[in-house]
Amino acid sequence: MRRFAYYPGCIAEFSSKELDATTKHLAPMLDIELLPMPAATCCGAGDIAEAKPNLYLTLNVRILSQAEEMGVDILTICNVCTLNLRRANKMVKEDARLLESVNEELVKVGARPYGGTIDVTHLLWYISTEEGLALLEKQGPKGLNGLRVAPYYGCQLLRPSSVMGFEDPDKPQSLERLITALGGEVADYEAKSSCCGFPIILAREAVALKESHSALSQSRDAGADCMVTPCPLCHLAMDAYQRKAEAANGEKYDMPVLHLPQLIGLALGIDNKIMDFKRHLVPVDRVLETVAG
Amino acid sequence: MAKTTFDIFRYQPDVSDAQYRQSYDLEHEGDFTILDAILRLQDEQDGTLAVRYSCRSAICGSCACKANGKTVLACMSQVEDVKKEFDTETVQVDPIGNFAPLKDLIVDLDPFWDKFKSVKPYLIPDGPAPEKERIVSKEDMQKLFRESACILCAACYSECNSLAADPDFVGPAAFAWGYRFAGDVRDGQRKQRAKLYTGEHGVWDCTRCMYCNERCPKGVNPRDAIEKLGGIAFQEGRAMKDAGARHAKAFLISMRTGGKLNETVLVPFTDPIKAHLDVPFALQMIRHGKAPSPIPHRIKKLKEVQKLMKNVKETI
Repeated sequence: MRRFAYYPGCIAEFSSKELDATTKHLAPMLDIELLPMPAATCCGAGDIAEAKPNLYLTLNVRILSQAEEMGVDILTICNVCTLNLRRANKMVKEDARLLESVNEELVKVGARPYGGTIDVTHLLWYISTEEGLALLEKQGPKGLNGLRVAPYYGCQLLRPSSVMGFEDPDKPQSLERLITALGGEVADYEAKSSCCGFPIILAREAVALKESHSALSQSRDAGADCMVTPCPLCHLAMDAYQRKAEAANGEKYDMPVLHLPQLIGLALGIDNKIMDFKRHLVPVDRVLETVAG
Repeated sequence: MAKTTFDIFRYQPDVSDAQYRQSYDLEHEGDFTILDAILRLQDEQDGTLAVRYSCRSAICGSCACKANGKTVLACMSQVEDVKKEFDTETVQVDPIGNFAPLKDLIVDLDPFWDKFKSVKPYLIPDGPAPEKERIVSKEDMQKLFRESACILCAACYSECNSLAADPDFVGPAAFAWGYRFAGDVRDGQRKQRAKLYTGEHGVWDCTRCMYCNERCPKGVNPRDAIEKLGGIAFQEGRAMKDAGARHAKAFLISMRTGGKLNETVLVPFTDPIKAHLDVPFALQMIRHGKAPSPIPHRIKKLKEVQKLMKNVKETI
C-alpha cells in the first residue's frame, strides 16, 4: 500500500466532483491510500502567482509542509495544481535563503516550517510507470475493447520540463502507455500537448475557444471515440465548453472527454454511477457502448 | 562519417506561390549544426536556399527555425542530437511559427518588432540625469538577470499558443523586455508601463501554455516575466481594470474567505456583464451539476492563510 497526501485541487472538489469520486474509488484498487489534507488551500492556479508572486510561493510551501508533517508525498489529479506545487517546491529546494524567508512567514502565523523533503506527483505519472501498470494488471482489467482514445495532455503537466521532468514534453508517452495497457487504441494527433485555453476562458473566451479547436478537431479527424485528459481544467474547456467551441469555430466535434481515472475505471469495470458521466456536457454513450462490446 | 537527409521548407515567391519541401542529402562528421548544414547546402548544392543568420554563436538570435517541429536556434542545434532526440535519420527544417514566410526559412518579423517597440523597451528615468552614473545594487540587478539575457530570436513567439489564437497578442519576448524595464529601479514609468501592458492583447491574454519557458534558448522564462508584470499591475492599482485581473482578484477573495477557489465568485466577478448574458450556458452547467454551492468551502486553519495574506510583502 502506497500512502499519499491527496491534493485533488478545487475543481475536482467542486464543479468536477466526478473526478474526485472516481479517484477515491479507484485508489484502493491500485493499492493507494489517499490521506486527506483538510487545511490545504487552493494552489492559486497561476492566478495568485500572477497577482502576488511571494504570496503564491508561501501558500504553496504551506501545503508542502502539511504533507511533510504527514510523512508522505503529495498525489495530485490536476495539471495546474501539479505545476504550482512542484514549482514552489523546486524554488525553495534550490534556494536555502528563500526557504528560510518563506519559513519565517509560516512560523510567524503559527504554521509549520517546511524542511524541503517531499515530492509532488500526478496520478498519471504514478500509474503509467512499469510498476504502476503492473498494479493495473493485477486487477485483471476487462479492458477497453479497442476503444479509440485520443490522449490529451494539455500544457502544465509537461511544461516547463525543468519543473515537471517526468517525460519529454515533445514526445509524451505516458497516456499512450496507459491506453494501450488498458486494451484501447491510441488515436494519435499533433495537438495533444497544445493549450486548451482554460486559464483565459472567462476573461478572453473568444481566444480560448480558438485554442481548444486544435485538439478537438484533430482528435476527431484521427477517428477517436473519445479524448482522455489528466486535468480537470482541460476537461472543462474540452467538455463543458465544447458546444461553445463548435459554435465559435463553425464545426462539429462531438468528442466525449474522459477524466483519466474514468478511463481506468471503465477498463477495470467501476460502476458508471460512481464515475457519474451525467455530469459531463458531451454525452459518453458511444464510449460506454464500445467498451461494453 | 554520418549521413543525413534534410527535408527543408521551400518558398520562393519570386518564382511561384508554391510552398513545398525539398530533400537534400549531406555527409558530415564531427560537430555539425543545422546552420552548418544549411550553409553547406547553399554552398555546394543549392544557392537559392534562403536563411537568415549572422553570428553562428547563439548571440545574435537570427537563425531560429523549427527542427522536426521544435523551435531551436539553428546554430545551437547539433544535427546528430536532433536525429537522436527524434529517432530519425531525417531532419525536417521549417521556418518559425506564428509568422508569414517571406522566402524559404526567412519570415516576416515586422509584427514581432512592432510589438517589441510597443512596450517601450528602453529606460525612461524620472527627472534630469544625475552628474555621475546611476548606481544599481547587485540585488536589484539580479531581479532582471533572466530578462536581460533575451536575444530577440523569437523562439518563444514561434510556439506561443495565445499568439496562434490571437495574432495581436503582444507576446512573450516583448513582455520579457517590458519587465526588464518596468522592474528596473532606475525607470520612472512603472505605473504607465503597468497600464500599457495590461490592455486588450496584453499580459492577461497569456494562456500559460509554458511553451515560451520551454523553448527559450537563453533561459529567459518569458512566462515568469508576464507573471511579474501581472504583479506590478496589481501593485499599480490595476486589479479591477480588466477581466483578466479580476479573474486573479477573485482567487485572492476566495483564498481570504475560504481558502479554496469559490467558482460562484469567480465567474460573475471576472466578467459581470457576460455572466448575466450567458444564462443558457449557466443553466446547462447547473443541469449537469457544474455549478458549485455558493456557500464557500472553508479549510481548516484558515486564520493562518488570512494572516499570511496580510503579512507577506511582494518584492517584484
